[in-house]
Amino acid sequence: MAPMLKTTALRNVDTRDIFTRYGILIVLVALLIIAGLISPVFYRSANIANVLQQASALGVISIGQTIVILAGGIDLSVASILATSCVFAAAMMAGKNSMVIPISLFCILIGFLSGILNGLIVTKRNAPPFIVTLGTALILQGIRFVYTKGAPFGTIPPWLRVMGRGRIAFFPVSVIIFLSLAVLVAIFLKRSPYGRKVYAVGDNKRAAYLSGINVNWISMSTYILSGVFASLGGLVLAGYLGFGDNWAGKGFELDSIAAVVVGGTSLVGGSGSVAGTVIGVLLMTVVFNLVLLAGLPYQAQLIVKGLIIAGAVAFYSTLGKRD
Amino acid sequence: MKKYALLFLVGLMICSFAATALTKDWVKFMDSDKMLVDTTQFYKPAPWKIGFSNASISNSWRVFLQAHIQYEASIHPEIAEFYITDAQDNSTKQLADVEDLLAKGIDLLIIAPATESALNPAVEKAMDKGVPVVVVDRKVSTDAFVTYIGSSDYQMGKIMAEWMVEKLGKKGNIVCLSGIAGASCAEDRLKGAMDVFNQYPDIKVLEQQYCDWSPVVGKQVMATFIQKYPKIDGIWADSALQGSGAIEAVQEAGLPIPPVTGEDMNRYLKMWKQMGFEGVAVSFPTWQGQVAVQKAIDVLSGIPVPRNVDVPRLVITTDTLDKFVKMDQPDEYFMDSRLPEKWLPKR
Repeated sequence: MAPMLKTTALRNVDTRDIFTRYGILIVLVALLIIAGLISPVFYRSANIANVLQQASALGVISIGQTIVILAGGIDLSVASILATSCVFAAAMMAGKNSMVIPISLFCILIGFLSGILNGLIVTKRNAPPFIVTLGTALILQGIRFVYTKGAPFGTIPPWLRVMGRGRIAFFPVSVIIFLSLAVLVAIFLKRSPYGRKVYAVGDNKRAAYLSGINVNWISMSTYILSGVFASLGGLVLAGYLGFGDNWAGKGFELDSIAAVVVGGTSLVGGSGSVAGTVIGVLLMTVVFNLVLLAGLPYQAQLIVKGLIIAGAVAFYSTLGKRD
Repeated sequence: MKKYALLFLVGLMICSFAATALTKDWVKFMDSDKMLVDTTQFYKPAPWKIGFSNASISNSWRVFLQAHIQYEASIHPEIAEFYITDAQDNSTKQLADVEDLLAKGIDLLIIAPATESALNPAVEKAMDKGVPVVVVDRKVSTDAFVTYIGSSDYQMGKIMAEWMVEKLGKKGNIVCLSGIAGASCAEDRLKGAMDVFNQYPDIKVLEQQYCDWSPVVGKQVMATFIQKYPKIDGIWADSALQGSGAIEAVQEAGLPIPPVTGEDMNRYLKMWKQMGFEGVAVSFPTWQGQVAVQKAIDVLSGIPVPRNVDVPRLVITTDTLDKFVKMDQPDEYFMDSRLPEKWLPKR
């Protein structure tokens, strides 16, 4: 009796997951068709490549954000980690290819340490992640302003620029990085014991704890992963931009949360997928591009962003009600 | 009867308040043209406490402005205390910052407001308390200040546009990249440019977008423009901040770089030198901060000051480029600067 129940329960979860995932895919396809009606320019390979490239940095951050949200947390420090990473990369690499690898590792270390800071305070002090990660964001902002005295300096060396804006047979390198990371994390989350624990902690923390999962360690690890992904995103954006900018990726923390939500992951944790986030990121970037192609002011993007988020939340809560 | 009496009294009170507000003279002028302000009422013996409320240091231009102000304050021993607040581009926070400075008992307020009308109550309050106000960089829309130091943004936009028209032989397609929507600098520069472009029927402005003075947004917007418009003959950018991003976008698309306008930012100058495109740099001088402090000292010394000070701008052309570009210095430096070596934002 017990094994049969388990299979049925799993199948139900899978069906709902798939439906939510396909739902957003249908929206993306519809959007791509509308794009053609607004401006056929959209379909040009150069434009598509541009759109994908612009989506990459946000995409990398959103992967990390997905992991945190799946475990029931949230990370508002990602944009600040990204900007700090970008600033230090430009300043310390100073245009030299030889410095790319050591300084990249240093930037990833910054992300790693920020993740530990977030994780420690959230788990050991049981503080709300919203506030804790906001605090970390401010600390990092202070650090990069003190270091640069407000005027970032340095340039990104050619090797890293390839990562941000290079092409392999017309396919942007940054997109390859983004999608490969997404595939890796998706497989890892769905197939490994660690992944299952992340879902379990997000779904029901108490039950997870009672079944022997080290909830604090899982929670902490998600913040560490998010921090690392944020710094990776910073390196990709640094490659795209070519120099340090104290406000690179401004607003990305909310954009990444929006992408995750639009992709079907529940904000309270426990259900969702990286695949959904990828589609969420693509959806948002396509819409931004369309706003510009349609000749609307760039600020109209904000209205559109808000509408998408509201629409997605309404869509998913309707689905939820059916159960 | 009592009700009508009360209404009458209230009406009278409102009228008298309105009357004082309408007829209030915030400053006394020495001439009938209202060009020179009489500052004898603000005289205070040194040493002084001066406060500077900065909109933000969110881009390197603003960092240089603040550095100039700090430098100038440091070379005047009569300024005993100099306080600086940073409002992070938030008008509400700036209102609070001004309150803080007034509470510290400052003798004069220098302010670079985040937005035009939101800071009116703050400067009016300061003037009411007898604390003279010197406005620098961006404007307020009230008359409650002693002097405004700036550099005509309208002229800046106009000079850039005139150069563009001349370079294109009075015909061609242009895109316009502006700063933050609603900021007086962006709007005035755009107005200066459009007044020029509208005079030439063969000059077509394809599109104008606000790029928040961000290189990332400038690059993204330009990349989209390149897709939308097959032929762009010129890029009018009100600042090298988004302009440098736009240049990169053109370069990456593999297209030749059309004439691009910019300012005295080192990154733009370096790109200009290295890529050899047609460029012009018009500065919005960061050293207007120094003038602000100098005029502040004049006000507190009872010396008359002009109501509006227009700090002269620098125009860099291909001929004079080599004098200003510094390949070994950071991209973020603004070259129309009067800062001595040790005051430059250093590594």
